[in-house]
Amino acid sequence: MPVINLDRQRFSKYVGKEVTSDEMADWLPWLGFDLEEVGEDKVKVEFNPNRIDFSSYAGVARAFKGLRGWETGLPEYDVKTGETLLNVESAVSEVRPFMLAAVVRGLKLEEDDVIDLMEMQEDLHWGIGRDRKKASIGVHNLDVVEPPFTFTAVEPESVKFVPLDKAEKMSLKEILEKHEKGKGYRHLVDWSPKYPLLEDKHGNVLSMPPIINGELTRVTEKTKALFLDVTGTDYNAVKNSLNVLSTAFAGMGGTIERVLVKYPGSMVESPNLDPQMMHLRTTFANKLLGLSLTDPQVIEFLEKCRLGAKSASRSHIDVLVPPYRIDILHEIDLVEEVAIGYGYYNLKPTLPSSVTIGKQHPAQMKANIARQIMIGFGFTEAMNFTLTNEAWHYTKMRRKPAASVKLANPVSTEYTIMRHDLLPSLMKNLADNKHESFPQKLFEVSDVVWINNQLDTGCQRRLHVAAVSSHPTSNFTEMKSVTEALLANLSLKLWKIGVAKHPSFINGRAANIRLRSETIGMVGEIHPEVLNNFALENPTTAFEIDLEEIA
Amino acid sequence: MVELSNSELKTLEAVQKLGNRTSVEKISEASQLAHSAIMRSLLKLSEENFIQIHEETQTHVKLTEEGASYSVNGLPERVLIKSLIQLGGKAEIRKAAQHAKLEPKLTPIALGWLRKKRWATIEGKTKLLKASRQPPTGTDEEILKDLAEGASPVIEQLNDDKRKAIMALRNRKLLETRETTSRTVEITPKGKEALEKGVEIIDGISQLTPELIVSRRWREKKIRKFNVTAPGPLIFPGKIHPLRQIIERARRIFLNLGFTEIRGPLVETAFWNFDALFQPQDHPAREMMDTFYLSNPKAGKLPTKDIVKSVAETHENGWTTGSKGWGYKWSMEEAKRLVLRTHTTAETIKYLSKHKEPPIKVFSVDRVYRNEQLTSIHTAEFYQIEGIVVDKGVTLRDLMGTLQTFYSRFRLKKVKFWPCYFPYTEPSAQAMVFVPELNHWMELCGMGMFRPEVLAPMGIEYPVLAWGGGLERIAMLELGLNDIRLLYGNRLDWIRRTPLCQ
Repeated sequence: MPVINLDRQRFSKYVGKEVTSDEMADWLPWLGFDLEEVGEDKVKVEFNPNRIDFSSYAGVARAFKGLRGWETGLPEYDVKTGETLLNVESAVSEVRPFMLAAVVRGLKLEEDDVIDLMEMQEDLHWGIGRDRKKASIGVHNLDVVEPPFTFTAVEPESVKFVPLDKAEKMSLKEILEKHEKGKGYRHLVDWSPKYPLLEDKHGNVLSMPPIINGELTRVTEKTKALFLDVTGTDYNAVKNSLNVLSTAFAGMGGTIERVLVKYPGSMVESPNLDPQMMHLRTTFANKLLGLSLTDPQVIEFLEKCRLGAKSASRSHIDVLVPPYRIDILHEIDLVEEVAIGYGYYNLKPTLPSSVTIGKQHPAQMKANIARQIMIGFGFTEAMNFTLTNEAWHYTKMRRKPAASVKLANPVSTEYTIMRHDLLPSLMKNLADNKHESFPQKLFEVSDVVWINNQLDTGCQRRLHVAAVSSHPTSNFTEMKSVTEALLANLSLKLWKIGVAKHPSFINGRAANIRLRSETIGMVGEIHPEVLNNFALENPTTAFEIDLEEIA
Repeated sequence: MVELSNSELKTLEAVQKLGNRTSVEKISEASQLAHSAIMRSLLKLSEENFIQIHEETQTHVKLTEEGASYSVNGLPERVLIKSLIQLGGKAEIRKAAQHAKLEPKLTPIALGWLRKKRWATIEGKTKLLKASRQPPTGTDEEILKDLAEGASPVIEQLNDDKRKAIMALRNRKLLETRETTSRTVEITPKGKEALEKGVEIIDGISQLTPELIVSRRWREKKIRKFNVTAPGPLIFPGKIHPLRQIIERARRIFLNLGFTEIRGPLVETAFWNFDALFQPQDHPAREMMDTFYLSNPKAGKLPTKDIVKSVAETHENGWTTGSKGWGYKWSMEEAKRLVLRTHTTAETIKYLSKHKEPPIKVFSVDRVYRNEQLTSIHTAEFYQIEGIVVDKGVTLRDLMGTLQTFYSRFRLKKVKFWPCYFPYTEPSAQAMVFVPELNHWMELCGMGMFRPEVLAPMGIEYPVLAWGGGLERIAMLELGLNDIRLLYGNRLDWIRRTPLCQ
């Protein structure tokens, strides 16, 4: 989750009145923030990715003022008419088809603002842009370049410019090969014969979207006018990013000025910061929240959440949603706004009135019966992961790897496949407990996963029981008695024990357990080579039974 | 009058008769009692302070194989010097060794000890070995000889010289030492007094037998008293795993509150794990960094066309739900990919797509997966608690109340609810709980009401209250752990040590 570090004094400036860090820590969670750290002059909070408008001081302050009732209702954004022209050429239609832009004037930036700006840009790249794929942002010093601007695509070696943080000119190809950002994001453009480029009237390079800006338009605390460019592959993501960004600048005291974006065959005025109209039925909100609010109350709470609201008819309220609230998709989202404005802390818990009778799942009942029997025999329960690897599951057990459920993206070499039986897990438990006193008797009743093409997922979760007994005089008879006593107590009658060969067991000391014609398990004495593989010193006997076949 | 058994009395009498400190063997000879009977009696007599048992450590010495061979042939340095004297007290090393028929690997050992014992000198350039006379037999050689002739010395009883020699031989790995404890027994004044005053002999029963019970002969005898305070050997009961205890507690609470348990597959299609829950296909949680995808098998089958189509359209444009949707092109292939389920909600939505008559109250406490490295706070597999209530007219406040009731059974009484975000619920909240032991608020679980974009494609007509959270966090609190790996380490000492009924 994204994080914002709020300096109390700067935050107070944005809020327009002195707030204490206690006050911030008390109230920010009621807007949906998670407290990370609360210091005397700093409050570090996490916010949910749907509220990407919380990635700036201006955005947090806007919401904070609303909830405290200091400034409520829809924030108005006056977009000034401007002369700036931007041409989006058809050359970009394959590689990065969309671009929108805005001009910001009248800002008095401080050093901290420039740092915040960078962090906000990163949050937007991640939250909306999906790591710059769908949308990416460039913020430029407008006064060093001259419109009209052109967004085009050019041959990788045809243009050279000085990228941010470098002293020398590099070709677009060199940037992808040598610059840190080029190496990090090259996959977004390097498949295209031409790379995107943003230039001014004189061919000065503003940026190579979505990789890197030019050093020329670097923003510092002296910068007075900004040119915001957002490019991308998803129009909504581009539009949303620009809305969040430009409203944040407006919140910092800037004046937003329109850019005329000329696409081949169409013209767009950007940004469009008009609110969007939605409807909310008070009855709908009351029904979900368990409240009986009146229309004026609902309007009051929506306004606290910085939405515009007025009673439109007897059936619903007209709600105006500001352009940065990209998370509001449905009337249901307005219901949550009502709840936030009302205050979650004011919602008194109640209990549903319906009467139902609880029921266990049959598999869990069966598992618990098996556990109870095994405990009766003096065995202790182990609980293992279902994830394992081929070395533990097969090699150490003297088995050849069989078809198993495999992970495409394992996080470590220890966990690469899903176990299809339990015994190897228990052997590993014995290996991990070598220094504890003997006898050691362990069991597990748990999940294994088999390949099964009959099912929708091609995999089947099965419930197994397995046990091991390890001590100087452990022997086949001991374990066979336990196995048969378990079967009898699971209400089975007609099982058969037959001679079996299994690489993990000693030949001549292994048996299979059959029910009707199905083999449902094995019992036997573990092969000494397996014991050596797990560095075990005591004779060990084991059984495993598939509980799926047992009703 | 003191009560003693026959063998205890015999033992005490033998100890007195033998006088001074005496051994168990001698007592056995004198009393004609078996060794084990004497040991039992001695224990009882010493508890009564009638005797005192002295324990003494004795270190015995034994030749090693190498030592035994030298005891016959002589130490290598002795063999070499003998030859040297025979060669006139002066010879090249090689020649002297050849004359002595010394094994090549023993020559450097012999030279080392010749120098150390100052029996001979070596002249640098010519490697000439020189000695003036045959040195006298050393203490170490005497000891080797004695041992070879069958002596069994006890180190503690030897003089300093011999002890030093033995240590040196042990360092040369020519002999081994072994410690034994010998017990000697001595009667105390209290024991003597008891014998003088007379002792009542009881023909006591130590082990009650079926024969004694049935024949009622136990009436004629006295049942011996045991030292009931003596420590017994340590044993461990077979028991349920501590984490299972917590799982079972959670299940019992749900069952008591009238919830029905559901259980689904561990491997799911991305469709049920994500798409059906309105999680867009490019949502960060669906990335490889967070979710385990399968390489074998890779893809699964989707449910009926109707369901798939309505889910797809809901993602793309909101379908008939009144939502804007996510505004992207939904991919069937992406939905077919198989994942290890990241939450039990995958099963919940599938269950609700088939069970639509309210009231429905279902739960699961079951296994889920996240692509995480194993650390003190994260595991790739863990248990999720999930509770669902579906009914006409249920509200967010009902969800809060249900959840509060649930966690209060875990002794977590102080709960508050902060707004939160999940792609499939709205309104959403997270439950924060106050943990007195830690004196701070902890995030307990996420909760909310299923979005219309989730309900409509499945044909669910009533509000769905849902909450879910990790079980391990509660388990760690209950079990007093600060490392989650302990829960899955299956360390026997921990399982054996952790009491039931936490």
